[in-house]
Amino acid sequence: MDEEPERAKRWEGGYERTWEVLKEDESGSLKSSVEAILYQSKRKRMITSHNQVRLGMVQGHRNTGNIGLLPILLKKLMRHLYVVIDCSRSMEDQDLKPNRLTSTLKLIEKFVDEYFDQNPISQIGFITTKNKRAEKLTDLAGNPTKHTTALKKAVDTVCGGEPSLYNSLNLAIQSLKHMPGHTSREILIVLSSLTTCDPANIYELIKTLKTLKIRVSVIGLSAEVRVCTVLTRETGGLYNVILDESHYRELLMMHVKPPPATTSSECSLIRMGFPQHTVSAVMDRDAKPSFSMSHLDSSSSCDPGLSLGGYFCPQCHAKYTELPVECKVCGLTLVSAPHLARSFHHLFPLQTFTETPVEELQGERFCQACQGELKEKSMFTCPSCKNVYCMECDLYIHDALHFCPCCTHGDAAR
Amino acid sequence: MKLNIEGLLVYFPYDYIYPEQYSYMLELKRTLDAKGHGVLEMPSGTGKTISLLSLIVAYQSAFPLEVTKLIYCSRTVPEIEKVVEELRKLMEYYAKETGERNNFLALALSSRKNLCIHPEVSALRFGKEVDGKCHSLTASYIRSQRHTDPNLPLCSFYEEFDAVGRQVPLPAGIYNLDDLKDFGKRKGWCPYYLARYSILHANIVVYSYHYLLDPKIADLVSKELAKNSVVVFDEAHNIDNVCIDSMSVNITRRTLDRCQNNVDTLQNTIHNIKESDAAKLKEEYRRLVEGLKEANVARETDVYLANPVLPDEILREAVPGSIRTAEHFVGFLKRFLEYLKSRLRVQHVVQESAPQFLKDIFEKVCIDRKPLRFCAERLQSLLRTLEIADIADFSAVTLISNFATLVSTYSQGFTIIIEPFEDRTPTIANPVLHFSCMDPSIAIKPVFQRFQSVVITSGTLSPLDIYPRILDFRPVTMASFTMTLARTCLCPLIVGRGNDQVTLSSKFETREDIAVIRNYGNLLLEMSAIVPDGIVAFFTSYIYMENIVASWYEQGILENIQRNKLIFIETPDAAETSMALEKYQQACENGRGAILLSVARGKVSEGIDFVHHFGRAVIMFGVPYVYTQSRILKARLEYLRDQFQIRENDFLTFDAMRHAAQCVGRALRGKTDYGLMVFADKRYARADKRGKLPRWIQEHISDGSLNLTIDETVQLSKHFLRQMAQPFRQEDQLGLSLLTLEQLESEEMLKKITQIAHQT
Repeated sequence: MDEEPERAKRWEGGYERTWEVLKEDESGSLKSSVEAILYQSKRKRMITSHNQVRLGMVQGHRNTGNIGLLPILLKKLMRHLYVVIDCSRSMEDQDLKPNRLTSTLKLIEKFVDEYFDQNPISQIGFITTKNKRAEKLTDLAGNPTKHTTALKKAVDTVCGGEPSLYNSLNLAIQSLKHMPGHTSREILIVLSSLTTCDPANIYELIKTLKTLKIRVSVIGLSAEVRVCTVLTRETGGLYNVILDESHYRELLMMHVKPPPATTSSECSLIRMGFPQHTVSAVMDRDAKPSFSMSHLDSSSSCDPGLSLGGYFCPQCHAKYTELPVECKVCGLTLVSAPHLARSFHHLFPLQTFTETPVEELQGERFCQACQGELKEKSMFTCPSCKNVYCMECDLYIHDALHFCPCCTHGDAAR
Repeated sequence: MKLNIEGLLVYFPYDYIYPEQYSYMLELKRTLDAKGHGVLEMPSGTGKTISLLSLIVAYQSAFPLEVTKLIYCSRTVPEIEKVVEELRKLMEYYAKETGERNNFLALALSSRKNLCIHPEVSALRFGKEVDGKCHSLTASYIRSQRHTDPNLPLCSFYEEFDAVGRQVPLPAGIYNLDDLKDFGKRKGWCPYYLARYSILHANIVVYSYHYLLDPKIADLVSKELAKNSVVVFDEAHNIDNVCIDSMSVNITRRTLDRCQNNVDTLQNTIHNIKESDAAKLKEEYRRLVEGLKEANVARETDVYLANPVLPDEILREAVPGSIRTAEHFVGFLKRFLEYLKSRLRVQHVVQESAPQFLKDIFEKVCIDRKPLRFCAERLQSLLRTLEIADIADFSAVTLISNFATLVSTYSQGFTIIIEPFEDRTPTIANPVLHFSCMDPSIAIKPVFQRFQSVVITSGTLSPLDIYPRILDFRPVTMASFTMTLARTCLCPLIVGRGNDQVTLSSKFETREDIAVIRNYGNLLLEMSAIVPDGIVAFFTSYIYMENIVASWYEQGILENIQRNKLIFIETPDAAETSMALEKYQQACENGRGAILLSVARGKVSEGIDFVHHFGRAVIMFGVPYVYTQSRILKARLEYLRDQFQIRENDFLTFDAMRHAAQCVGRALRGKTDYGLMVFADKRYARADKRGKLPRWIQEHISDGSLNLTIDETVQLSKHFLRQMAQPFRQEDQLGLSLLTLEQLESEEMLKKITQIAHQT
C-alpha cells in the first residue's frame, strides 16, 4: 500500500474515542484485542491466498502472432467481475470523507488500475443501484480507461432511495452466465445501505447464482447484514465490513488477487491468440485505414478509431487497437505475451515466509530489505535464502514484488 | 471432557468449556453438599442448562443415596424439549466414555394435550377440551360402568396401560415428549399416564413449574416425589408471580352465571340419583362422617407434598354436618353464590381482608367459617359420587369452592378487592372480585420444606438478595456469574437526552410531552438507519405504545422509519402477534430489515429469543414500571412492607429492572451473538436503577455512556457494529472465553475463575 492519505483536521473527523485504545489489556477484550484479530486475519489472508494456488505450467507456443493453448490452472486467470456500487440514500453519509460515494468511487478507480495491473487478461464491469433499480454503468470490458472515465462521471450521481440486491444481481447474471466456464464469474458488491428492496425472493436467486458458479463477495460500509452473510457463504465469496477508510482500501485490494478456482474446471486447455502489432503500410502498399472491431458497437465516439495499424486476430484477421480482448468475430481470446507474463506470479507464487519471534535471531536484528531495525515481535524468514524481513517488507514482497530480493541477488552473484 | 470439581468426577459432553460454566458447577456442588437451597444468576447463552445437568447427574452417580432424583422445572414446552436434548447429549457422552449404558431414566412430562395419542381426543385444540374428553373416557366410575354396559366408549391406550403398563417399568433412557408418544404407540399404552406413573422412579424429571407450584396440579402429579430430590427452577426470575397466580382467584359476573348453571345441574342430578340410586348418596354420607382420615394417614408419614390449599388441621376433622348431605351442600352453595352476587353489585371499590369477609358473610347469610373450609373437598366428593364425566364444564363451581376454602383458611397474605368497573373503562359496569394472594411464599413453602435442595436460576435474577426475602427461604449459596468475552459483544447505552437536550423519560409527568415523544421517534429513526436487520423496541405498556405510535404517525416519523425498515407491532391478541413475529423474522432474513414494537411484560419480552440478526438492537423506551395505580399491586406493596420490610419503591424498581433486563437480554443469546442494548430513559443512569441490572450487563456500562444524546448513541453504535462485523472465529475465543481441559487446569485460569462468581 502506498502512503496514508492526509488525515483530515481533527475537528472534521468523527468521534475518535482515543482513550479507549489506551485501556490496558488485562480484561482481554478491548479494542487492542480486536486489532490483534485484524492483524492475524491479515496474515492469514496472505497465507491462504498463497496456499490455494497449485502449480501449473504455461505451455503456450508463443510463435509469432499465433494461436497457443493455455492450460487452465487451478487459479482462474481470466476473470469476469461485475462491481455493484450502491448509490442509495445511505451513500450520502459523511462518515467517510467527503461522503461515502465519492470516497468509494475514488477507491474503486484505484482498484480498477490495480485490477488490470494484476489481471491483464480479465474484464470488469460496473452496475449501480438506487431507487430500487439497477443500471449498468459500463459493460464487461478489458479497457481500464473506459471504466475510469465512467467512474469519474458517476461522482455527480444523485443518491437516493433504496438499493436492490436482487435487481443488481439479476442484471449481472444476465451477462455473466454467457461467460465461458473456464473463466471466473464474480460479482463484488459495495453495499452501504442496510436494507434492500427486492421484487422477489432473493434466496431463489442465490440458488441460481450457486448453480451458475458465480462467486459473490460483499464489502459492507456500515454493518453486517444477514442476507449478505448468506449470499457470500452460499456462493463462496468473502464478506467484510469496513472499519475506516484505510481498512476499506485494504478490503478492496483483497479482491485484486484472483480467487481460488473450484476443482471442477470446465476444460483444461483454451485457445488463445497472440497477435502482434503491425502497421499494415509496411507490409502492404494497398493498405487502407480500417476501424477497430471493438469500436464498431461502442456508442462513445470520442476517438474515431480509424487507423492503419493494429492487432490482427491470427484466426480471422479482425483488427483491434487494444489488447487483451475477446475477438468479436471468432471469439478467440487475444492477448499479448507480456500480459501472460504479468499474470505469471499467480501461478508461481512466492513461498510464504516463516514467522518466528525476533528473540531467536542471533546477531544484528535488522531487516534485509529496508535495513531497518526489527522492532516488532516477529520476523519473517525466506525459506530458500534464509534472509530475514520485517512485517512491512514481507507484505510488500508478497503483494507487489512477487520475488525475494535476496534470492535473486544471490542468483546474480553466482 | 472429564472435569474434577472439588473431587467430583463430572463428565462434560463438549470439548470446550466456558470458564463461567466451571465456576457455576463449583457453586452448584457446594449447594448440593450443604443440602441447602441456592440462587444462581448466569447470563443466557453461556450453557447454564448443560452445566446444571452435568453436575447433578455426576452427583447422582457418585452419591446415589444422597440425591435420588432431579426435578427440572422450566416454563414452556420448547424449553423442556431443549433440556431433554441436552440431557440426551450428556448421556450419549457417558455411554461413550464409560463404555456401558447407564440405567438412567429421564423423561419430560407435559399436559394431556401434548402427550395424548388417542386419535379423536388428540385432535381437539384446547387443553381443557382434551382434559375433559380424556376424563370422560378414563374416569374410574366410567370404567366401572362399562362392566355393565360394554357399549360405552373407551380409551384403549389407557386400558392397556392400566392392565400391564404398571408392572413393567419404563426401560432406562431419555424420553422427550415425542419419544414417549412413540413408545406409547408401539406398546399401545397411554403416554400421559405412563409418564405420570414413571416420574416416581425416574432419575430425572423435566416438567413445567405448575406441576410443583400450583397446588391443584401438584397434589395430583408431584405428591409422591422423594424427599431427597434436587429441584431446579430455570428461568425463575418471575417465580414469585407464578406462585401468586397459582393461588389467586378472580370472579366475574360471568363466572357466577356459569356457576349458577352448574349448581342447577348438580341439583337435578342429585334429584335423579335420589330416585334411582339412593344408596350411593348414603354411602357418600357415611364416608364423609369418617372424615378425610385416609388422606391424613398419608400425610403423617411425610411422603406427600403438603397441599397448601388444605392445611393439616382440616384433614383431622370430619366434614361438618351442615354440608354433609348432598342437598344441604347444594343449598349451601346456592346461598354462597347469592351472597357473592350481592357483593358484586357494588358501585364503589371495596377492599377487605379475609376475616372481614368471613364476618360479613356470617352476618348476612349465616355461613360459618368451618363449612366454607371444606367446600372444595366436599364438591370433589360430590362430583365423584354423581359420576359427572366432563369435569371441564364444572370449572366455575370448582373455582368458587376453591375460593371458599382459601378465603376461610388463610387469614393472612390474601386480600379481597371488589371493583365495579375496570380503570380504563369507568363507564362500563364489569364487576370483578379479586381474591389476590400477596405472599408468594405460601405456594412455594411446601417445595422448600420438602426437598433437600432447591436451586433457583436464571439469566436475570439481580438483585439476588430480594428473592430469598420475598420467597421466604434461606439459601446457602447466592452467586452471580459474569460472562467472559473475547470481544465485548454487548453494548449497553443509556440515552438520557435528545439532540435538543430534552430529557428523555417515560415518567408520568412528561408522558404526554410532545418533545419527548418526538425525540423517542428520532432515536428510533436514527437507529433504524444504522442497525442492520432486526430491531426490537419495547414500550412500558400497550396504552403508552399506542399513544406514541399515533403521534409518530402524525409527525411523519413513521413514514421516515419505514424507508429504512418495516414496522411490526405486538398486540394483546396472540394470533396477531405470532403473525407479526413471523413476518418480522422474514423481513430480517431477506435483508429488508424490520422493527418490532412490543411491550415489556408482553409475550415477546418473555418467551421469544431474537438470536443474531433477529435482534441486533433492543431499545427500551422508558422504565417498565408496573401499573402502580392497580389496587392489587398496592395491597401487595403494603403487605411486603409490613411483612418483609421491603420498601414499596425498592420493590417497584426491582420489578421494573428485572423486566427491563429480560427485554434487553432477548438480543444476546450466546457468545458469538452481539447486540446493542439501548436504555432510553434518563432514570436508568441513577445508581438505584443501574445497580439492579444483572452484573453481566452492568459491568459493560462505562461512565461515559450514562447520559448520551441521540447523536452520541448513533456514533457509538456505528462504531460498535463495525467492530462486531469483523470476522470472529473460534480460535479467537480459545483461552479467553473458551477453554480446553489443559487451559482450564492451569493455575492462572483457576485463579481467574474464582473471580467470576460474585457472592452476595
